[in-house]
This record gives sequence, structure tokens and C-alpha cells, in this order.
Amino acid sequence: MSACATTPQRNIGEKREPGAGRSLRANVRGRSWTEPTAYAALALLAAGETGAARKGLEWIRSAERPDGGWPPQIGIDESTWVTAVVALLPPADLGPAVHARAIAWLLATCGKESSFDYRLRQWLLGNSRPADQQFAGWPWVPGAAAWVGPTSLAILALEKESRRRPSPEIQKRIESGRRFLLARMCGEGGWNHGSSRAAGYESRPYPETTGMALAALRGVVGPKVDRALAVARGFLDECRSADALNWLRLGLLTHGRLPEGFCPPPRLAYRTLPEASLALLVGGGPRGREFFWG
Amino acid sequence: METKFTRREWLAAAGSAAMLAGCGKSVPMVPSTVSIVRAPAYDQRIYETMRRILEDHRVDVRGRTVVLKPNLVEFEPQSSINTHPILVHAAWEAFQAMGASSVRIGEGPGHRRNTLDLADAAGYFQIVPHFEDLFVDLNLDDVTRIRPSRQFSRLEKLYLPDTVLGADLLVSMPKMKTHHWTGATLAMKNLFGVVPSGVYGWPKNPLHWAGIEECIADLHAAFPRQFAIVDGIVGMEGDGPIQGVPKPVGVLVAGHDPVAVDATCCRIMQIDPYQIGYLRLASGEANSHMLEQNIRQTGENIADVATPFVLPATVAGVGLRRS
Repeated sequence: MSACATTPQRNIGEKREPGAGRSLRANVRGRSWTEPTAYAALALLAAGETGAARKGLEWIRSAERPDGGWPPQIGIDESTWVTAVVALLPPADLGPAVHARAIAWLLATCGKESSFDYRLRQWLLGNSRPADQQFAGWPWVPGAAAWVGPTSLAILALEKESRRRPSPEIQKRIESGRRFLLARMCGEGGWNHGSSRAAGYESRPYPETTGMALAALRGVVGPKVDRALAVARGFLDECRSADALNWLRLGLLTHGRLPEGFCPPPRLAYRTLPEASLALLVGGGPRGREFFWG
Repeated sequence: METKFTRREWLAAAGSAAMLAGCGKSVPMVPSTVSIVRAPAYDQRIYETMRRILEDHRVDVRGRTVVLKPNLVEFEPQSSINTHPILVHAAWEAFQAMGASSVRIGEGPGHRRNTLDLADAAGYFQIVPHFEDLFVDLNLDDVTRIRPSRQFSRLEKLYLPDTVLGADLLVSMPKMKTHHWTGATLAMKNLFGVVPSGVYGWPKNPLHWAGIEECIADLHAAFPRQFAIVDGIVGMEGDGPIQGVPKPVGVLVAGHDPVAVDATCCRIMQIDPYQIGYLRLASGEANSHMLEQNIRQTGENIADVATPFVLPATVAGVGLRRS
């Protein structure tokens, strides 16, 4: 697939408003955040802009916490899901030891409902384990439950690491994470944030998390994945969110189901740095997508 | 923010205090004013109605910074899930006209990460000129760790966005909705949207583990300078706050004390406010902020606009219905 004409060719490496068209202003005020910095560094590396990427990589290295994870923003004293985005960066660029610590942090982190303490407490209380809590996923924040977004990102990072350095421990977490995703699929197919039934009612899927989960289910086949792919294909035609379209495209590409020649709508607004960076990675050809798949 | 009271209000407060001292059940307090104003539709009349509400409440924002906090939840522009943008624009214009030094609009949705797309789908870009310049995605704002004046939850750390912490007045602008966990979601529950998902995630799950009702009370304590304007023109009943159905009530409910405003909304929805956990936590000793004798009602009478809301099945059996 060739790069689309509407892919944002913007100043990802510079922290300023990019001129004509819809702005990226939403993310260019205030202090730096780990997630947009990591996505921007990925996009710059994919574009061969190693000089510009270096500044971002230096910032990321400086933001690492003593436990080997990353906070969402410097000043927040906790490592969170953004560690998975950092772990998508190539070890050679991030630094092999730094990258290894990011992977170790991911392997040591799971949703609270999968922790030994929680399960023991539930067992002592005589509570049975719900079907959608059988498998360990990843939380946004340690000490909270696992959700679709952070689980998908962690699987992407671990899958990439697994291709570089196969390990049974990594494979086990990937498998568990994928089972978690399949268990959290909405009744009609696709995923929302991770609650397929809320207070007794079926919940609707979201385009962005459906794309993320499909990207994390690379190589997984079956009726559930087929149903999710059909939902994703439906979202692709109606969706007007750059973030959602990025993930939908990646998810469908992962399964070879993105329609040939598909391009986002011409007036699509890229409003944040992660949106613009992801669009460059997903829509910029095989090199960009290698940063997800290894 | 200074609130001035009339002699009549002081007399009413003294009367309430004397009456309650006798039964020993409540703490005397100056009644807070809550107005119920009819607003039949989302149309141009809202602008005048909003200006009148703020004048009646003598909201003094001259030279002050104001943050309007609507409730943006889902991409369903035809439903009654989000605060209507014309209401927010009317408030923005009114506060500007009253001399505020700055009026921003801020929200941090709890489920969807693409906040600006959500606002676009809800009609904010269309209705509010230069919306993108006025809006702050509170999920991605710079944050500061704070300690609320009173803490009810087990939350160990509370990071909040600098934009709202620095505001002289935070204006909660929720939709009048039922809620499948808390019973009702109004001005106080709307403050969940100031908790930054960039720190806590989508959803803001650490708050669930720490206790939803208690976290709502924490947030109430964290923002002492508030004003509340509840969008009850078309609310939501049934399985709110997302999957319920539209419920036309045709009112705006406003006031400086979010507890009193929410209690009044509950009474309009024919929900017993004393059964709402976060209201009990935040309403002070002996529920003084919720007591009808401590609320100076202006505008419409509750009885005249009362509209029973169908309760979510999850809470229908726990005595929420007000007789």
C-alpha cells in the first residue's frame, strides 16, 4: 500500500504548531509527556530522522523510574502503561539495558484481579472467578484492573521483543493477554475499553480499541477474530477520528484485511502528536509498521 | 469567591438555626440558593436564561479565571448523553460579559481517549467559535499532586490538572442523568472528569478501587470555589449514564453549593437524595447541605417541575425512589 496523500507530513520533531490545516495544539502546551514523546520518536526513526529522534530518546531515558518503568509525565511518582509504548522503541536506539528494564517491568505487571493477593481474598470470601477474569492482562496503572488498551500495547511490545529474543516467559504473558482480549470482546464483536457488559447490559465496541486489540491479536484466527474484523471494517467506513482510524488501519493490516488503496478521508483532523505520529507509522509503508511488528 | 447575603437570607439562616437547634438534628448554616429555571429547548433563549441565572446568583467573576466543565462521554450526538454545547457557549458568553479575565472549557472523558473528536461529534466545534483555542483536554493537562481538605477515599495520591486547580471558579455543567452505580450523576459526579486519565487511565479505574462515592466526595472537597449548572433540559433516565433514554424535564438547576444543587436535582427526578452515597458524605454534619430548610429555592417550585426518572435496574431496589 502506498502512503496516502492525506498522511500528516508535519513537524513531529518540533514542539510547535505545524502551520496550515488543523493544529496539533492539544498536545503542544505544557510539559512533555512520555506517550507522545515515544510515538514521535518512533515516527522520526521510521522517517530516518535520527537526529531529531535523539532529543526525544534522551528525554525518555531521563524519565525512567527506578523500577524500570515510565511515568506518564515527569513529576508523577508511578510507572504506568506508557512503559509499553517506550518498549516499542528499538533497543539499539533506546539503549539495550533501558529497553530490557522496560520489558521486565511489563512482565512483572498485571491487572489487580490477577494478583495473588486479590485472588486469595476472593477465594477466602467464597467468590468464584468471573470468566473474563481468568486471564492476566495489563492495567493502565499498577494496582488497578486490566483493560483492553494497555493490554494491547503491552502485547505489541512483548511480541516485538519475542521475535528479537524468544522466551517462554514472554510467550506465556502474550498468550494470557490475548486470551484476556478474547474474553473481553463485546457481544456484537470488537472491543470497548474493556467492559463488554456493564451493569447487566451489553456494551458497544469502540473503533480505536477494536483496532488496538486486533493489532495485538496478530496471527490469531477464529470466529471471534472474524467477527471483530467485520466490526472493524464497518467502523473504517464511518469513523472520522484520526486516532481511531490509525488503530483500525493497523488492526486490519495486521490481519491482511485493510481494503487495497484505503486512505483516510481527505479532511481528517490530526489533533494530537500521537495521532500524527501513528498516522505516519501506519500509513507510511512497511518500514513504519515494522516498528510495531518487529 | 465572595458570596454576599441579603438581610432576608441571614434572617432565614437564623430561623433555620433556631428551628434545628430545637430538634438537635442539624447544624445551622446560611441557606444556599438553588435556582430552578424553565428552559424548554436548546435554542437561542438559553443565552438570556443563562445570563439571568448568573446575575440572580450574583456570581462575581470580574477579573477572575473561570473553567467550564461540561460532561462529554460518548460519540452519540443524537442522544442525551453529553452536555449540550449551546448551554456551554451561553455560559461562556455570560461569564465573558460579566468581566471574567479568562473563560476556558475543560473536560477529561473517562472512556474515550480522543477528546477533541468527541467534542466535535457532540457539536462543540460547530456551536462554540474557536472551540479548540478555548478547550483544555484535562486528561492531558499538566498536573499537580494535591491533598484535599477532607479525604473520604482510600486514594493514596490525587493528581489534578493545573488548569482547574488554578481557576478562581470551577463551573460544573453536567447532564441530569441516572447512574447505574451511584443512582444519579449530577454536578458532583461530573468532577470525575477533572481527574486526568493521562495519569489514571481510561477508565479512571484507581478511583473505582478507592470507592466511587468516596472519590466524588474527595473531589468536592478539593474544589472549594464551584458553581453548578445542571442541564436538565433533556436528561437521561433508565440505564444511565450511557445507555439510558432521553428524559425531557425542561429545566436548568444552578447554585454555588453543588451538594444543594444535586439534592435539588434528585428531588426533581424524584430520587431520595439521602440515599445517594456521595451526597451523604459531602453534605456535612447531619446532612445539613441537603436539608430542604437549608436550601433557599428560587425560580420554579420543585413540585411544579418534578419528573420521575426511571431508575437503572441495578439501583431500583435500594430505596432510591422518593415518596
